[in-house]
Amino acid sequence: MASQLSYAGFAWKNLWRRRLRTLLTLGGIAMAIGAFVALVGFSRAFEHEWLRMYEGAGTDLAVVEKSFLNTSLDESVGAKLRALPVVAEARPMIFNLMDLTPEVNALVFGWQADSYELNSIKLASGRRFRDGQPEILLGDILAENLKKSAGDTLEIQGTPFTVVGIYHGGSALEAGAVIMPLDQLQQLSALQGKVAAFHVRLRPAPAGEAQEQYIKRAQAQIEAALPGLHAVPAAERAANNQLVVLAHAVAWGTSSIALIVGILGIVNTMAMSVFERTREIGILRALGWKSGRIMLLIEIEAATLGLIGGLLGIGVGWGSLRLLSTMPQTASIVSASVSPLHLLEALGIAILAGLLAGLIPAWRGAHLSPVEALRHD
Amino acid sequence: MTEPVNTAPILQVRDLRKSYDEGRIEALRGVDLAIEAGDFVSISGPSGSGKSTLLQLLGGLDSPTHGEVLYRGARLGTAIDLDAYRSQKVGFIFQAFHLMPTLRVLENVQVPMLALSPSPQRRAERAAALLIEMGLQHRLRQYPSELSAGERQRVAIARALANEPEMLLADEPTGNLDSENSARIMEILTGIQKVRGMTLIVVTHENEIAHSASHQIHIRDGRIRA
Repeated sequence: MASQLSYAGFAWKNLWRRRLRTLLTLGGIAMAIGAFVALVGFSRAFEHEWLRMYEGAGTDLAVVEKSFLNTSLDESVGAKLRALPVVAEARPMIFNLMDLTPEVNALVFGWQADSYELNSIKLASGRRFRDGQPEILLGDILAENLKKSAGDTLEIQGTPFTVVGIYHGGSALEAGAVIMPLDQLQQLSALQGKVAAFHVRLRPAPAGEAQEQYIKRAQAQIEAALPGLHAVPAAERAANNQLVVLAHAVAWGTSSIALIVGILGIVNTMAMSVFERTREIGILRALGWKSGRIMLLIEIEAATLGLIGGLLGIGVGWGSLRLLSTMPQTASIVSASVSPLHLLEALGIAILAGLLAGLIPAWRGAHLSPVEALRHD
Repeated sequence: MTEPVNTAPILQVRDLRKSYDEGRIEALRGVDLAIEAGDFVSISGPSGSGKSTLLQLLGGLDSPTHGEVLYRGARLGTAIDLDAYRSQKVGFIFQAFHLMPTLRVLENVQVPMLALSPSPQRRAERAAALLIEMGLQHRLRQYPSELSAGERQRVAIARALANEPEMLLADEPTGNLDSENSARIMEILTGIQKVRGMTLIVVTHENEIAHSASHQIHIRDGRIRA
């Protein structure tokens, strides 16, 4: 049978009439959605990796002073923490983001050699470091990027460190990180006696008390014993630590700007298209098309731009993440994994952006007088 | 008990006035007329006389400044929704054809049916049947730009018939055609009027076409002249 006409087919033919303009608009929305997929995907994966790191080590609470990045917490607080009945272990930690080579930077963690957190990583080669020694462990992804193995030397901020072991990290953050003795990182950062946080493992909850309730009680107990400090559950810490918050803010900020530009592109395209087709809209009105039906047609065109731009953007964003996850400069902090929900969200945003962008041109087109529209040149 | 028969004319116009530019231009200055169902009516007159304005008001494309247009006794724009009236009761044919350039011939004829007929296959079949009736069976998949002027007007006639209207309203349907194609288009239109019993209203400046109508309206300076 010969071709059947549908609203979608009609809309697509209208869009395809001005191929270059449609392709440029699709490019704009694809870049916007690509930025959303890549940046927001990255920031969410970053948060997820923090959580995995805490969960992998079995950390229940992080005790901090105001914020995670404030390294003004005194190391001596550890003894008071450990004296509390609910606390099984409390280990000081410090971390920093450092340039290891001009191309490669990585998270550097300072832990005590006997910290329980070291139990969550598996040594692939070599041995653990010793406190007080210029020794480091490298995550396997970072070691591969730096082409270092156990026994090699790595200079960090002018100080030579011996790579004593390579480990498999439980999370991408750990696999791309350096772990060194706490005292060495304090010295390197000129923060002797200060730590970023204490990671706390609680004793098992008493029988009959729910874990959530128990953690709340432990929080209250710690904060009562150590006024001015905050005991924050691991999941909350993963979501709210300043690096993650900063990553979320940058990701959403940049994506929003890109989306606004993309929406303006669709508005421009649809407004131009409606203006150019004024007479054709008049013909549709003369043929009895109601205003709502004309709005529907124009909105389908705008949503189609959003849908196709969104699909292209998902490809762009995903491809960018995969590329970043293989580059030495970013491999240690970028994960290529993106949740299907995030992709659906991106597609939803793209279609919604198209519908919003098409609203004013659609309204204008739908309310043209048939006679005036037919007279239009 | 039988339903009462509606004996009102298919179209009736009472004291119809239309002005533009805040009343400075008066296109129609009080027109009264009645058109019976199945009539072939011509509206003629010099340029600017108001004949196209009258057709637009009869077809529900515009609303009068004063007066009323009645379809079978019911007032357009109040008792009858103009969109529904245009899509179901009236088929328009324009001098410039006004086909959609991005759509194939077959698709163009389906445009009026898009909202009324839920079945895409039925729409396509009806469009094909109408185009075959117009002698365009070899042009179904062509675009309007690939057709001659006469063929384009035949596509427009097929499109006007798509929703089986009661009336065909044609505004200078032969204005862009040579004499041979003009004769053929008028032959098609009058044939449709006779065979289907449709009301045909043609705006024309050609005397021959005007005189071939069963009911002739001559309009000048916005008024009907005897």
